Amino acid sequence: MADDRYAPKLDEFNDDDLFASAIEIKVEAKADISIEDDRSNGLSPIEEQSHNLSAADEIDLNSDSEYKDGVPDTKAKIELRSEPEDIFEDIPDPKEVHGETMVGRSTLETLVTSPRTQSCNAYHTGTMTEDEKVITAESDGKFITISVKDPQKIGDGISSFLTYNVVTRTNIGLFKKTEMTVSRRFSDFLGLHDKLAEKYLHKGRLVPAPPEKNVVGTTKVKMTGGQTEHEGKLPEFVERRRAALERYLIRIAIHPIFQVDPDFREFLECEDELPRASNTSALSGAGVLRLFNRMGETVTKIAFKMGESDPWFEERHQQLETLESQFRRLQASLEGLYSHRRELAFATAALGKGLALLSNGEDHAGLSRALAKMAELHDKLEGVHNDQSNADFYILHELIKDYLSLLGVVKDVFHERVKAFQTWQHAQQMLAKKREAVDRWESTGRSDKVAPAKDEVLEWEAKVNRSQEEFDVISKAIKKELELFDLQRVKDFKAAFISYLEAQMKAQDKIIEHWETYMPEAKAIA
Amino acid sequence: MAAYENSNNHLDVEKKTERSETVDLNDNTLQVDISDALSEREKVKFTVHTKTTLKDFAKQDFSVVRQHEEFIWLHDRFEENESYAGYIIPPPPPRPDFDSSREKLQKLGEGEGSMTAEEFKKMKQELEAEYLATFKKTVAMHEVFLCRLANHPIFRADTNFRVFLEYEQDLSVRGKNKKEKLETFLRSFSKTTDEILLGSTQKDVDEFFDKEKNFLLDYHSLLKDATLRADKMTKAHKDVADHYIKISSCLLEMATADTNQLERFATKTADIFEKARKIENRVSTDEDLKLSDTLRYYMRDTTAAKNLLYRRLRCLADYEAANRALEKARAKNKDVHAAEWSQHQACEKFEQMSAKGKEELIDFKVRRVAAIKKNLIELCELELKHANTHSQLLKASIVALREEL
Repeated sequence: MADDRYAPKLDEFNDDDLFASAIEIKVEAKADISIEDDRSNGLSPIEEQSHNLSAADEIDLNSDSEYKDGVPDTKAKIELRSEPEDIFEDIPDPKEVHGETMVGRSTLETLVTSPRTQSCNAYHTGTMTEDEKVITAESDGKFITISVKDPQKIGDGISSFLTYNVVTRTNIGLFKKTEMTVSRRFSDFLGLHDKLAEKYLHKGRLVPAPPEKNVVGTTKVKMTGGQTEHEGKLPEFVERRRAALERYLIRIAIHPIFQVDPDFREFLECEDELPRASNTSALSGAGVLRLFNRMGETVTKIAFKMGESDPWFEERHQQLETLESQFRRLQASLEGLYSHRRELAFATAALGKGLALLSNGEDHAGLSRALAKMAELHDKLEGVHNDQSNADFYILHELIKDYLSLLGVVKDVFHERVKAFQTWQHAQQMLAKKREAVDRWESTGRSDKVAPAKDEVLEWEAKVNRSQEEFDVISKAIKKELELFDLQRVKDFKAAFISYLEAQMKAQDKIIEHWETYMPEAKAIA
Repeated sequence: MAAYENSNNHLDVEKKTERSETVDLNDNTLQVDISDALSEREKVKFTVHTKTTLKDFAKQDFSVVRQHEEFIWLHDRFEENESYAGYIIPPPPPRPDFDSSREKLQKLGEGEGSMTAEEFKKMKQELEAEYLATFKKTVAMHEVFLCRLANHPIFRADTNFRVFLEYEQDLSVRGKNKKEKLETFLRSFSKTTDEILLGSTQKDVDEFFDKEKNFLLDYHSLLKDATLRADKMTKAHKDVADHYIKISSCLLEMATADTNQLERFATKTADIFEKARKIENRVSTDEDLKLSDTLRYYMRDTTAAKNLLYRRLRCLADYEAANRALEKARAKNKDVHAAEWSQHQACEKFEQMSAKGKEELIDFKVRRVAAIKKNLIELCELELKHANTHSQLLKASIVALREEL
């Protein structure tokens, strides 16, 4: 089946200076960085360094930093900054680490700029074998292929869990190897999402949403005894989750920024168990905190109405709302279709059994045989109908569900922008106050208070500027992300519907086959 | 909805195929068909058209208008007639039942607000088609009933039948009032218990009939079961087809609201779902017609055959009772003559019935096998045709959609 969905058009990002607008960095006093043109370095130092990078937690900061690049064939204008409110302020060796990352960045630059010079539009059709979906994100010879397979139950009872094998094949240089397989559990995926969200969400990037938690399904899996890998059938929920996890990783992989994110790389590469992302569990302290945050945010969402200066956002917002309601309707219909087709499959099987009984009770030998054959036929038809309903479900329904959750992320991102706006307004207000304070002190002749007040004014001026820039940055980033989102959406939809129709066609062909084998039987009744 | 009940649905029905299904003798001396049917409020009026070369009829080509109750009246006359006891009486046609269609239409009307105009139109069309299909079916059932009577050498000569065909005015058969309905109910109740009792106590001398009885009892319940399941399957199929409508309209909505990128694609896809739906629907109706209805018909026919057997058993019981009475009379040497005579009657009746019954049952078997075979073949052909159309549609649409990529 053709899966034409996952080819990112990197050239479009180039045109829009993705990296320039994404994260603007200001040179601050302490981070004085010299830029080496390390292009000549081969890939090996990068590989070593990225290994170091993945080891240290503080890398997160560096992945955010981008560097002034004087290379002529790049349109990207990037500036450095380290964020003041960043938690990762204790960098052990700024220069060295920065240097490494810069190399990484410039290599990425190469990756990104080269498509500009060549036209790239490489759609790659994925191939689907029985138990895995291998989907390729490709552009210009650089590709990354991810598949999630072999769910396995580790342990027993309440403390057991499922692991999945994540198989990656890539020739992107930042990765240590070209092929790797690691074992991950569901909370690892959630942990990855949390890390990415922390880093990128407030910058206006659409971080794909991970598959939902499912308490009932998980508990069922925990409680069933025996090794699930030897069991013929894992519960359907596991298969759904596996497919969803795969789609999730692929969505991350095709996004040009996330693709090279060190956390993502670590997730794919690191062969040891990742540290338990225990704060992803609902009952943890972090979980409770998250809950509070969410409630607070909901209140602000309702309470604060941002005066929208940019009509583009207004329009988009409307459009997204309509899209969401349409998706919901489509999802409901698809669910209906899916369940009815399942019913059809059951009914067909039941009819088959009824016919078999009838055939036993029939005393005319010829008719009896014909009826028995018909019973068999209906059993086969049941299989076909089941396949059809699987197609309904996995191809279409899950797609719509994914998009609904993505729309939720878009809403979150919009909200982040609102928050940025709020910060900016707040900073402006504070600035005004501080200026007033200065005036007041000056007029009352308290020169001792004037100086610190003036300092405060400067501080707040800087904050105002910074928050304004952040707001602009996030606005631009959102615009770009939404463009990418739209493109991806169109592509996904087209591909999904086509593959759905192909599945249906195969099913019809099977039906034809079955009835054709039956026909002579019917004619042969004496 | 009121519009429906008031509308007169004229239907020109070509039902030659149905006739050949149950015909043994195919001479044209008496041909009966239902040339027209009107649906008025609760009632359906059938125009029964007869063409005959027999001298007993006043005219050679004539029509009368009959209602369902009159068909039932006719059936009951046959059923009650003792001289026909040895025959399988063709099962009466089921009452025209538009209740489910009406219900659905009502629900649709109520839910009108929640769907788009397009969707509503389509679903309404669907329901109308369903209504029409039910209508056609009931006409067919009535016709088959008449044709069987017309083609049966003995039945066709029955006076009641002739009256039914010829009498131009209303037969003024009133539907049974409450008392009569209760009577019928009680009678059927007692009949069933009697049947069961007889079935267990009365031993049949003739092995053939014994076997037949067991076979028919089993077969009947199996048929019933299979019919129910077939009905469920057809219904599920229809539901699937209905959902295609919803998806199609969702897609259309998306197409109109979306910017150009997805518009053409979505519109085309919506169209595909529409077409696919029509095909699925047709599959469902054909399955219903060929499979479910055949099973259903033979279920009722086996009931008729069972009735025959029951009557025969009853007759046998009477015969044996008469024998015993004769012996007793002979022993007492009183009323011997009367007893002899009644025993003789019973014996004759019984033997006639057995002979006829045997014929009928064998005939029934042959008929059944032929009919089921024919319907299975037709079902097979239709399924293949539809699956082929569906597959072609999908192939063509995939090509068209790929152009849009």
